[in-house]
Amino acid sequence: MTTKDIGPKNPLQKGTEDAIDYVDERSGVKTGTRWFLFRNIPEGTSWFQTLGFTAMVVFGMQAITGIILAMYYVPDTEGGAYKSIEYITNEVTWGWLVRGMHKWGASVMIIVVFLHMARVFIWGAYKYPRELTWVTGAFLLLLTMFMGLTGYLLVWDQKAYWATVVAVNIFASAPILGPYIGDILRAGPEFGPATLSRFYSIHMLVIPGAIATFIGLHLYFIVRLGISEPPWSKRRLRIERDEEDARREAARERAKALPGAVNYPSTWPVEAKESAR
Amino acid sequence: MKPADKKAYDKDYAQAKKTGKPFFPYAIFKDTIVAGLVVVATIILAITVRVEVGEPVNPSTTDFVPRPEWYFYFAFELLKIFANQNALTPVIMATFMVPNILIILLVIWPFIDRGPERRIWKRPFAMGMIVLVTGFLCYTTYLGANSPGGVGSGGLPLTGLDEAGTAGMAVYMANGCASCHMVAGVGAPGPGPDLTNFGSKGWDTAKQVAWLKAPNAPMPSYASLPPAELESLANFVNGLGTKYK
Repeated sequence: MTTKDIGPKNPLQKGTEDAIDYVDERSGVKTGTRWFLFRNIPEGTSWFQTLGFTAMVVFGMQAITGIILAMYYVPDTEGGAYKSIEYITNEVTWGWLVRGMHKWGASVMIIVVFLHMARVFIWGAYKYPRELTWVTGAFLLLLTMFMGLTGYLLVWDQKAYWATVVAVNIFASAPILGPYIGDILRAGPEFGPATLSRFYSIHMLVIPGAIATFIGLHLYFIVRLGISEPPWSKRRLRIERDEEDARREAARERAKALPGAVNYPSTWPVEAKESAR
Repeated sequence: MKPADKKAYDKDYAQAKKTGKPFFPYAIFKDTIVAGLVVVATIILAITVRVEVGEPVNPSTTDFVPRPEWYFYFAFELLKIFANQNALTPVIMATFMVPNILIILLVIWPFIDRGPERRIWKRPFAMGMIVLVTGFLCYTTYLGANSPGGVGSGGLPLTGLDEAGTAGMAVYMANGCASCHMVAGVGAPGPGPDLTNFGSKGWDTAKQVAWLKAPNAPMPSYASLPPAELESLANFVNGLGTKYK
């Protein structure tokens, strides 16, 4: 059946199509979208498999609230940091909410990432061919925890300050490399103004960049390898049942073929028949 | 995993994919619902449990409880578990060995557990590991959340306090020593060791002052205290269990 020509296309639609074709010719965006969005996933995909995406969304939320906080925050140890936190919390419109979301978002992110990992672990989804997906994910967990550690100091209050002094001392106590790591984190032998700006830069630039990179890798692996199928999906259970039936049938045949074999009722468990032999 | 197992898995997964459904919109639909719920829950938390502004930093007083965020409580509790061993053990075990072993295990786990089996009940080792690690993390986080906070200004139940002893105890209490150390049952049970019988070590004042200025991690340095207070504190700690019981 051929399409009937009904005259020239709507110019707006034609313009859009031409623009997409122009970009696609140069970037392959159509293929890319098809590869990313319209790939098939196993049918029995479960609600538990939404946690990875959720972790990514929470990271996005942290990025947005973090950008807003950075518009007001001053990394100054001479009272500036503390005052800017006070200002954000008490003066800025919705400032308390943005700060609250960022603070709670950190805890939520840790929980979601942990649950995501537990799901992958319990399902054995880290097995061939997804080993490297797991490795990138493990780095993402460590980066997330490091994010919490560096962000904690920025509010520059007593609790945060001393907890971070202790935490940095812990890093510094490691054999061989420890003292160097301590100096790098503190920006010198003592806690001071340089420490705060260093934590600020690590928290805002270094780790977010690293997390974004690892999310990119993680996603690439997921799309390339496909998301795993629940080990108890309907399809898997059917296959396992068929395999079990085939095994029983084979054992029954073997029992029959033996000289002097009795015809055991087929309802007997296979093990009993094997031992009876 | 043997090449045959790999092949079998690839074949099986290709089959699952073939009979599957597209990522968009099926998976995205569920993803959006769960992610949306989590974001809404965060906003509700932010509205109902407001974050407050704490005390401003004052590096010269350490009258505080060094509490990390709750997701580091397990590390904090590890310090306590090893706190009452000898001087080197807590540092090496709690701050280096245990965390690094956990991190390495975490990263290389897929290369340890390589069997093709994915069903829960057929992987007792892996399931045992996750129950063990999760149980340990939950238990230590619970302990951390319930660990005693400040010890107040009541002082320590010691006898034999002379004038120097009372002054030393005042420095001890004012600088938050009790938030990491226990003396005669008062103070936090860690991360620092119990100091009740510290005097039996027979340190002299100079050695103790040098230690307070540059202690082993994770204890913070007390170099910012005035020399007179440092000396008074050093004499007090050196007398615990011998002069002051």
